[in-house]
Amino acid sequence: MSYRIMIIDDEKIVGDMAKLSLEQEGYEVETFLSGAPALQRLREQKFDVVVTDLKMKGIDGLEVLRTVKELSPETKVIMITAFANLNVAIEAIKADVNDFFPKPVKIKELKESIKKALQK
Amino acid sequence: MGTFSEMVRSIFRKLEGRPGGFAKRLDLKEAFRLYKEVLESNNRALMVITDMGEKLGGDFIFDINYVRKAYADLSADIRGSIERFDLLTGGRHDAAGAFNRVDSLIRAMVYGTAPASGKLVVFYDDISWDMVRDVGGKNYHLSELRNMLGLKVPEAFALTGAAYDAYMEHNGIRQMLTAGDAADTEGGLETIREAVAAGEFPPGLDRAIGEAVATVARRAGGGGSLAVRSSAEEEDGDLSFAGQFMTVLNVPLEKEAVKEAYRKVVASLFAPGALQYQKQHGYAAGSLRMPVGCVLMVDARSSGVLYTADPVGGREESLLINAAWGLGSTVVDGRTDADLFIVGKKPALHLEEARIGEKQLMAVAAEGGGTKEVETPPEMRSKPSLSEEDALELASIALEIERYYKRPQDVEWARGADGGMSILQSRPLVAAAAPAGPAPGRDELKEALARYPVLMSNRGRVVQKGVAGGKVFVVKNAADLDHFPRGAVLVAKHDSPQYVRVMPYAAAIITDTGAPTSHMASICREFRVPAVVNAGVATQSLAHGQEITLSAEEDGSATVYAGLAEELLQVQAANSRSMEDLYEFRRKRYLMRYISPLNLINPLVDEFTAEKCRTMHDILRFIHEKAVQALVDASVHAEGHAAFKRLDLPIPAGIHVIDIGGGLVEGKGEKVSVEEVTSLPLRAIVKGMMHPGAWHTEPVSLGMRDFLSSMVRMQEPAQEQAGFAGNNIAVVSREYMNLTLRFGYHFNLVDCFCSERAGNNHVYFRFVGGATDITKRSRRIRLIEEILREYGFISTTKGDLIIARLSHVGRDEILDILEKSGRLIAFTRQLDAVLDSDSDVERFKRNFLEDKYELAD
Repeated sequence: MSYRIMIIDDEKIVGDMAKLSLEQEGYEVETFLSGAPALQRLREQKFDVVVTDLKMKGIDGLEVLRTVKELSPETKVIMITAFANLNVAIEAIKADVNDFFPKPVKIKELKESIKKALQK
Repeated sequence: MGTFSEMVRSIFRKLEGRPGGFAKRLDLKEAFRLYKEVLESNNRALMVITDMGEKLGGDFIFDINYVRKAYADLSADIRGSIERFDLLTGGRHDAAGAFNRVDSLIRAMVYGTAPASGKLVVFYDDISWDMVRDVGGKNYHLSELRNMLGLKVPEAFALTGAAYDAYMEHNGIRQMLTAGDAADTEGGLETIREAVAAGEFPPGLDRAIGEAVATVARRAGGGGSLAVRSSAEEEDGDLSFAGQFMTVLNVPLEKEAVKEAYRKVVASLFAPGALQYQKQHGYAAGSLRMPVGCVLMVDARSSGVLYTADPVGGREESLLINAAWGLGSTVVDGRTDADLFIVGKKPALHLEEARIGEKQLMAVAAEGGGTKEVETPPEMRSKPSLSEEDALELASIALEIERYYKRPQDVEWARGADGGMSILQSRPLVAAAAPAGPAPGRDELKEALARYPVLMSNRGRVVQKGVAGGKVFVVKNAADLDHFPRGAVLVAKHDSPQYVRVMPYAAAIITDTGAPTSHMASICREFRVPAVVNAGVATQSLAHGQEITLSAEEDGSATVYAGLAEELLQVQAANSRSMEDLYEFRRKRYLMRYISPLNLINPLVDEFTAEKCRTMHDILRFIHEKAVQALVDASVHAEGHAAFKRLDLPIPAGIHVIDIGGGLVEGKGEKVSVEEVTSLPLRAIVKGMMHPGAWHTEPVSLGMRDFLSSMVRMQEPAQEQAGFAGNNIAVVSREYMNLTLRFGYHFNLVDCFCSERAGNNHVYFRFVGGATDITKRSRRIRLIEEILREYGFISTTKGDLIIARLSHVGRDEILDILEKSGRLIAFTRQLDAVLDSDSDVERFKRNFLEDKYELAD
């Protein structure tokens, strides 16, 4: 059985690129352009890893993170953001984020991070 | 005679009085400071370009914020550079104008509006890299095959997006489209279609079409007809709308006929099925513009389609060719039992299989326009519509196209009655399945690779990752590029932007020296040619003609294997297509076209002007070159420096040194010894001049003609360089030297900057004149040119003048070359007198390179 990964980012290119490179690794990948439909989907389907942008209109990355942990504490969350900010990082760590990447994200590193998260 | 400095001042005053003189010349120290600042900001800009190339290269997930921020940094650096540059050059070059032009194109892209040239008609020959939006993907790619790869593509012109806008505007259709939901109802659509099909042409467009048709008719030499078809295609050809829009074939070469065909093609944009397709891909009705292509029809004996890979079986090792008699439409539409040729790619192209079809039908041009299907004459039906030779020729052309686009291709072709093979279209082969079986795994790969001897490993800097195989072609000088075979691996001592000439056909590039921020490196990234620079020993370890495979890895390690490592190449093929398949990726990456390609390559030609700059990279290069020029000028005309010192040399070279900072050991006195010279370039060149044997002291005898010639030349008005008659001046700092030499009647200028950063470094070498007759002087120029080219200079000559340039070379190497140049200056000082025949040039060149300086045989 292959692992399920969800990507949430309000820019299409981020989801497209992540999906394409993660599918090459054999993961099943779904992408969302905003938090609301993503959380809706999470209520129907369990995902092993959620990769989410931090800054999005409406539901932001921190809220996604908290909701994911509520719905399914074993789901790992990786956060990516263009605006690295220490306070946000602390908040995210408190909420049990698995990893935190500034954009642009090196695909190879993202893959490694997911692999590690799945082994935990 | 007064003191030396008085004399220089008086000359300077004379020069100031000349029209276009040097009244506003900068103080040399100030010029040098500005020059260094220009270099610094240029370097920062080049680093941003490098970073953007890397981040947008497919290994990183990026978003528009990154693009915007990186571009903001880049433009700030370039603006800063231009500011200093304008001060340095007195605003003589319109670099800011060039910047604003390119900047507005990029901004339009970063912030979402499309630029356009405004031209209504563009001939394929005139379609440049920045016109893809104007002419549409199909026109653009076809013109690229003609202009970049030199393939046979029929005479053609594009009716641009601006022509489309003008037509729609003129007929009030734009208003219809924007008004309410006209395009959403079948009745509304019908009205729009009718309006398009019956539209009038605005006078400008009408005239432009008339002129274009007349030009094609003239070039076609009478007779012929056009294929008029849509080029409304996403710019990189992914969303091809294949078969969605109408194509009108065999349109007579008459203005009215072309206009009628244009109406039909444009109307097909609003056909119900086509609209549905556009909607599915996110285009609202009326949001797509339609450029149109008008291509001269090939008088085809046979035609068809070629796939550079087998789209069904997934076999990458063969090409498929479908062919039938006459025009290609029966093959494209699958309406005849066409011939199928399977061509194997390895070891060399060979015909694997030929299944000859029945070909009952063939398409031919109909009288008065259009095409018709007719029964194939019985005697032709089961005859192959392509010979084996033709099939192989076609296959080799198609592979070249595939190599250029780095993706399997779907090629439409036609073989003319004259036997020539024309390419009518090439687009990515979208149906290509994954290669048969998975690519070899890591362990298997390791095992397989163990069979290939390693020629080089972990040397140099990877500037573009990738795997590529081919025969080594060692490039020693620019002229070698004329013979560069397609698909070869370019190996050279230095990296050079000159290589852009062969970049579309090079499998890979490996150089001994070079930097990842060099011009060449960014061009490699643009063309995605795997490349390694600064590999040190490539020209020694890799033999000309040898087959190799380069594996340049993401982690920066590079390995060169002997032979073609098929296993590696296969992995590369499986991985390379991925990101390119994403529309969003290509769209975002697109702005790099206005940033990283380099069009200004040779600073020694007339086109090296601000107006010719089309990318940010061009602007940086232009600024650098002209800044060097400004510095040379400022040095040549240096004035007001108290500290002239005579360089004490064992040879009578009579050099005076002006130190602008760190070029001499500080001290009083009018003389300095060689040991007191701390300027690296001056030390190097003087060392060369003093090289044992290079400086001949015995007088050479002038023949009668030479003597007369020298008498005549003495009467000539002073040249610019003659201002320093009898006095040789070196303006120096620790890393810089501008040396003006006059020996007898020849004048020599060497300008050099040699810092730790190879990208900043240059040598500029100018030599003119001599006492002998022009034949001998020209021979000497040829000798100098050939030797300088051995050292990697590019040069231009005219009569007894040579200007040669070398740049982007590391400090140690520059100093070595300067030392050799010093020897060359010393050696050739009086050499023209003994260059009695052309064969002497070759002999002295050989001797010089072997460190032999005898004048006699």
